[in-house]
Parts: sequence; structure tokens; C-alpha cells
Amino acid sequence: MEKILLNVAAPDIETYIKAGGYRALKKAFAMKPEDVTAEVKKSNLRGRGGAGFPTGLKWSFIPKTNPKPRYLVCNADESEPGTFKDRELLRKNPHLLVEGLTISSYAIGAKQCYVYIRGEFAEEAELLKNAVREAAQRGFIGKNILNSGFDLEIITHRGAGAYICGEETALLESIEGKRGLPRLKPPFPAVVGLFGCPTVINNVETLASVPAIIEKGGDWYAGLGAGKSAGTKLFSVSGPVKKPGVYEIELGMPFKKFLEEYAGGMLEGSVLKAVIPGGSSVPVLTAGEALKMNLDYESVQQAGSMLGSGGIIIIDDKACMVETLLVLAGFYHHESCGQCTPCREGGGWIEKLLAKMEKGEARETDVDLVYSIAENMLARTLCPLGDALAMPVMSFITKFRPEFEAHAKGKP
Amino acid sequence: MPKLTIDGKTIEMPKGATILQAAQALGVYIPRYCYHPSLPVSGTCRMCVVEVEKTAKLQIACATEIADGMAVRTDTPAVKKARRDVLEYLLINHPVDCPICDQAGECFLQDYYMDHGLHKSRIAPGDKIRRSKRRAAGKYLTLDNERCILCTRCVRFCDEVTRTGELTVSGRNDASFIDMKEGKGVDNDYSLNIADICPVGAFTSRDFRFKARVWFLKKTGSICTGCAAGCNIEVHHNEGIVHRLMPAPNPETNTWLCDRGRMTYKVLRAGDRLSKARIKKGSMEPEPALRQAAHLIDDAAHRAGPESVAVLGSPYLSLEDNLAIAELASGSIKTGALCLDFSCEQGVKDGILINKDQTPNANGLKLLRARYGGLDQNALIGLINSGRIKLIVAEARALNSLREKLRDLSNIPTVILALAKSDLDFDSDCVLPYASYFETEGHFVNYKGRIQKTAAAVAAPEGVQPLWLVLSKISSYTGAPIKIEDTKAMSAKLSEYALGKSVIPAICKPGSIAAKSTRE
Repeated sequence: MEKILLNVAAPDIETYIKAGGYRALKKAFAMKPEDVTAEVKKSNLRGRGGAGFPTGLKWSFIPKTNPKPRYLVCNADESEPGTFKDRELLRKNPHLLVEGLTISSYAIGAKQCYVYIRGEFAEEAELLKNAVREAAQRGFIGKNILNSGFDLEIITHRGAGAYICGEETALLESIEGKRGLPRLKPPFPAVVGLFGCPTVINNVETLASVPAIIEKGGDWYAGLGAGKSAGTKLFSVSGPVKKPGVYEIELGMPFKKFLEEYAGGMLEGSVLKAVIPGGSSVPVLTAGEALKMNLDYESVQQAGSMLGSGGIIIIDDKACMVETLLVLAGFYHHESCGQCTPCREGGGWIEKLLAKMEKGEARETDVDLVYSIAENMLARTLCPLGDALAMPVMSFITKFRPEFEAHAKGKP
Repeated sequence: MPKLTIDGKTIEMPKGATILQAAQALGVYIPRYCYHPSLPVSGTCRMCVVEVEKTAKLQIACATEIADGMAVRTDTPAVKKARRDVLEYLLINHPVDCPICDQAGECFLQDYYMDHGLHKSRIAPGDKIRRSKRRAAGKYLTLDNERCILCTRCVRFCDEVTRTGELTVSGRNDASFIDMKEGKGVDNDYSLNIADICPVGAFTSRDFRFKARVWFLKKTGSICTGCAAGCNIEVHHNEGIVHRLMPAPNPETNTWLCDRGRMTYKVLRAGDRLSKARIKKGSMEPEPALRQAAHLIDDAAHRAGPESVAVLGSPYLSLEDNLAIAELASGSIKTGALCLDFSCEQGVKDGILINKDQTPNANGLKLLRARYGGLDQNALIGLINSGRIKLIVAEARALNSLREKLRDLSNIPTVILALAKSDLDFDSDCVLPYASYFETEGHFVNYKGRIQKTAAAVAAPEGVQPLWLVLSKISSYTGAPIKIEDTKAMSAKLSEYALGKSVIPAICKPGSIAAKSTRE
């Protein structure tokens, strides 16, 4: 399979240009901005951050008559447990992102573009800054890029370690210098975004997919993958497999094939028990459910979970599901911003109960209680972080109830 | 205008209105914590959820804009369950210390628990989060973080109303707590409003703490006499004791109430209040003291002529009391040395409420001056300083305000009317007490010309009477009575002389326009 995202394995501009880099940029400038957007729409590219929202459609929400400046913001705050695909992209192919940022900014008419990069990605932030510098030296960003009359400034903004800043409106608050608290929506960022201006926020991988779409056409990209799940996607796989890592595959590949051919199969002595297919916030699947699904948005949803960010967490028969869920609950409790009631109060309560359960000190009724606390959070919070805890909790208990009950009865 | 239905009732509202506002207009009450009509929406408590037809998730009424054809339900099982669940979340870490909490009786947690909760506690007592209690938060407030539900009304009040920004949320998740920036307290002129808008017992008034149970309080609508703003208030009292003053929001005057205004009732507290007359530094029952005062006036008028008696109006006094002062001067003593000139610069001082004019009735004096004339202030000061004045009859604070311009007063006898000992800036051989405006009705004209009246919420100390009645009695002892002997006669005179009959119906009862409270 032809790689679109990880086709280059060195971060310098020479390697990138040799591999055909920045050709799409030249092609884009020969097009009208709205034709660039039309091409992305045609490609069926969907947001790779987790929600899978059609990218071209998102761009077209920018009001055409609003005289305020527009911003493109790249969400590089990759912090979800199990997800580490953007990091790989930033390390190996930062110029692909820079080219994607430039083309996308041109398409939506943004003269300033922010890349909000996770605080812990110190090395990646340097690589990106260097790529921006190199691109500026060659005239791929800056004033009057390639004599197109288009100006673009790319600003790298480092986060400070809060997972919630990956939520797009908390991210905007953070860039504005405020505490990273998710905003009430509506208004949506396309209308009132960064500094009150129309803003498009896309994930690293999404924007890195744009150059290939422009170079080879939306139809070509739409032909890759499986139906509505077009194109290629990065999957980061972790857990007791032989070859954990990041792999680019066409969407639609059977999970079984991915596990065996890319991840190298389970470690010796490990038996597949469960899979979290899309980053730690999506519902867990049993081995049986997972082995029947394909890796595309529709099929994973059919299996009862979500493709999300493509962060696949493999869980084997040696893992304790109570302990695993406790780790996740601890994370989401810790990262809750504390603004809205259900997430603020529910997360800590769930973690406390699971901690007692894990030690065999819980009450028998606590299994139902934990489930009920999560259920009461679902779809009731200001931002998706509440659901991100509720969904794993509910699915873990539903699918692995005997383990939870055994713990609750004091037999860990 | 978009037309929608809420629980089957139809209403049209302007575009941009929220479901909560539409419900309010229909008389459908939607429970809420973080929403407050005078603060920006935060949408975080999740208590005001409603069901909107054709929308999968429950929506928060406070932040959801209405749309044409929208069908909203506030009473479905899903809504009721969501409210109950929010209450459960808010109560798991709450200390439930209602028996010692001042908020009890006006607490949104208590009320909503009875209306929407009634669930059994599912948290193990040992799992509750403990937090700091009784933190001093500025001059007037105490903060109990354990009782706090993090609605952030207080933070938004300091950010958006006073723009002083003293408060913030520190920490995150369930370790979040309301905190004071740089450890400083709430230091603005409106801090006690935070105790009002706090829906629970987190911020309480240090002045009111442990003074009374709120369900015993009686509420009397009145106006604040702390400055020319004429803020509408509620006087909360029980068994003749005033416990606190609260704003009675009125779009014509005020939403909030300043801290200084709230403390004006302190004049009633024992210690400072004058409840007896003082004649030659000795205490005397008010009634016999009036004869002494009448004797002083008679004596000066006989010896040096009526013109030697100066009589001062006061911007701190009601129209009624100033009317009696003017009548005493012109009708009884028959002196021309009457001064009703106490106007000063007016206007909102801080962009919120507090007026540049710290007196409540300078505009009322202007009305009376139009009828009675009298000397302007400088002429009066000239007269006094020239030595031609042999007796001054005045309210204490009015005379205090002239002190800087007056020469030595020690040789001029005075008849002083005073509420409190601290009002006396000078020695006087005749000090007479009078009823405060918490104890008697009185009309005041605020800086906008709005005529409003105070109400008698509590009784004056025994023997202490309204000032106009004090003067009426003095005048009868001098043998030239001003003929205002009861409230009926007073009202008639007030209508005839000061306001003009046509103006009387315009007198606004306090809180008559919007008698809601900021508690919301």
C-alpha cells in the first residue's frame, strides 16, 4: 500500500522535497481557495482527532461575510491514553503538516495559523519549529508565498500538561492565555473561535492528509479505504503485542489482519481478552467483538465502539479489568476541569469506588453504583470529557461484570 | 418573533431569548444554580436541563436559544431524573450541616432537594471530600468551601459587576475550590451581594451570621438612606430588631445594594443610639426635654429677636421632617434665618450604584426651598460667624457638614436633633433624639427626582418620636404651634406645601415595580 502520511521518515526539508514535498502547495496556489475546499469535500476526509467529522464541511462553516480575521488552529495536543500517532507524524514528517497547514490556511483564508502542541512533546515541538523555520527560508510560508500574494504565519504554541486543552474550545482559551476551560457551544468556533474570530480547528493527521488530496485529487483519496471511511489512517497500537507502534493502513482493514500482520500478533503466552479501539475514551470491546470488526468508522461503530483517534489498546487475559478501569478512571478524574457538575463530582466518586473494589474493600452494591454514576454523567456534561469516562466505565462493567462482582465480594 | 411551546403552553419571545427566559415569562419555574439574571451565563451546573423535541440530548435552558416551533418539556421523567442526579452529585461531598448553617431556610440545595431530589444518599460517609471552612473573605464575608457547589456566581460577580476580580476557582476536578486571588479577601464596596447570590451557605455575611434563623424574619419594603441613589431594600427584622438589609431589585433604582448601605441599620444598635435626651450633659426623658428646648428658643427670640434664631434643614432627613423644620422657622419662631440649601454634586460615583451625594434627600430640600425660600448656605454661615445668631436649631449631621466653615460654636447655644451619639461632632446643652427611618415613614427624593418612602419596620425606643412630631410639640410649648399634630395633618401639609397634589400619586412604593430579590 502506498503510504500518504508516513511516506517520509526524516524530519528535514531536503528529504521531504526529494520525496515530492511542497508540490501540492504549488498546485493549490494555482487553484481558487474554494476549489481547494471543494476538493477536500470530495475526498470524504474525516477528522482524525476522534470525532470523524467531515473536514471539508467543517471548513465551509466559516461565515463568508464576516470581516474579522480567520484562524486555522492545529490540534497537536495529543494526550489520550493509547493514542500516539500524531507524535509519530511530527517526529518523522513535520513538513507534511507544515504543507497541510499552508494549503488549509489558504483554503479558509487564514493568515495566521496556530499549532497547539502538547506540553510534553518538547522534542516534537522543536522539530516542528525547525520545519517551520526551514519552510520559511524556502518561501513556503511567510509573505507572498511562491508569488501567490498569500501570506501565512505559523505559530507554535506549547501546552502545559492539561489533557482538557485537547478539547477544541479549551484549547482556544489556552492560546488566548486563559485557563483551559471548555466553552459553551454554540457559538461554534467556526463562527466565534480564537480571539472571537472565525476559526477552524483540525487534528494534526487530518491536516497532514490534505497535501496528498490536493496533489492527487479528492476522487483518488475517496477511492481509498472503505466507503464513507475514505483514505488511510494512522493506528497506534499498544499492549501485549509483538510489535506495538504506529502503522498507516487503508481504512477498512479487518482488525484481525491488522493485529496479526502489523502488530505482529499477541505476545507468547498472551491471549486477547479485550480491545479499546479508538483511544481510552471509547467503549471497550470483547475479543470476540473486536475480531469480527474492520478498522473503519462504520464497522467499529457497528461492533459497539468508536474508531476515535485510532489508538488501539490491546488487553490480554492476564489483565485485571477492575485495575485497568481504575487506571482510566484515575486519568479522567484527574483531567476533569471541574467546571460542570456531573464530570467534576462523578469522576472522583467513580475512582474512589473502583479503588476500593480493586482492593476488595467495596460493597456488593458498588458495581451497580459505579455503573449508575457513569450513566448519569453520559450526555449531561458541557464537553465530551464526561462521556470519555462514562463510556469506558459502562462498557467495562457491562462486558466484564463477573470480574467486577468478584472484586466487590472481596475476592480480587 | 419565534413562537414556542413549553409544557404545552405557547409563548412568543424576542429572537435571542433563552428557554429559561421564555419559561420564566410563562411562569414555569426551572431550577438553576449557576444561572443568575444579572450575571453572564456559565452553563455549568446542569440543573436547568429540559427536553427539546427532536433533540437527542437534554439541553440546558439557561444557554439554549429559543427557535420558532420549538417544543420544550420541563416535566418529563428524563428531566426529573437528570435534576435528581445533579442534586446527588452536588450533595455527595456536601457536609449537610444545615442545623448550623445560616443559609438554612433560604438554601437552594435544601429547597431543590425537597422539590426534585428526595433520594437516599449512596455515598459512604468516609468517601466525602473535606474542605476548608470559615475562611475570612474580606471585611464582611465568610467562605465555607465545603458547602460550595462551584456555581461561580461569586466569581462572575467580582469579574463582571464590580470588575475587581478578587475571586477565582483554584484546582481542578473535584479538588476545585473558590479561592481568593493572592490570598486577599473580597475587597469591594458590594461584597455582601455575594452572600445574597450564593445559592448555598458557602458565602455568608459575617454581620448576619448566627443572628437569626431566616424563617423567623419579617420583611418590610423600604428604601436605603445611605446616599442619593435611593436603593430599594427589604428590611429583615424580628421581634423589633433589624437583622439585615437586602436589596429589593427595581429597574428604576437598583439591582444590588452596597455594603455601606447595608450597614446603615447599625445606627439602631445599642450603645451608639440616642434613646434619651441630653440636657446639659445629663440624661433626660425625651418629653420633658422638649420643654427645655422650647424654653431655649423662647429665651433667644425674646432677648435678641426671632432673627437671632437660625434653623437648618437637613439633607439626611425626610421631606416630612424638613417640612416641620421649615414650618418651625417661618410659622412659629418667625425667623428669616432658615437655611434649606444643602445641595451638592450628584451622580453615580462608581458606575454601579453609590452616589457622589452621600445624603439621601438633597433633592427633597430643593422642593421645600422652592416653597419656603430661606438663606443660602454662605449667607447663613456669614450670619453665624458675625455673631448675630444666638441659637441654632439643627439636625446633627447637617450642622457637622458646615463645621469647617464655621468659627467657634462653643459660645452659641444649640438645640440638636440626633440619632446617635457618634453624630455629635460638638458639645450641645440640648440634644433631642428622634425616630430613625427604620422606625417611621418618610419621603425622600433620590438623585433622579424619584420620590420614595421608607417604611416603619420596627418600633422606635420608648418615648422617641418622629422628628416632625418633636418639633410640633416644641412649637406648641412656645405658644406658636405649627399645627402638625398627627400623620394625617403631616400628609396634608406635605401634599400642599412640598409636593403639590398632582405629584403625590407618583410616589413610588419601594419595590413596587419588581419585588423580586437578588437571591433568584
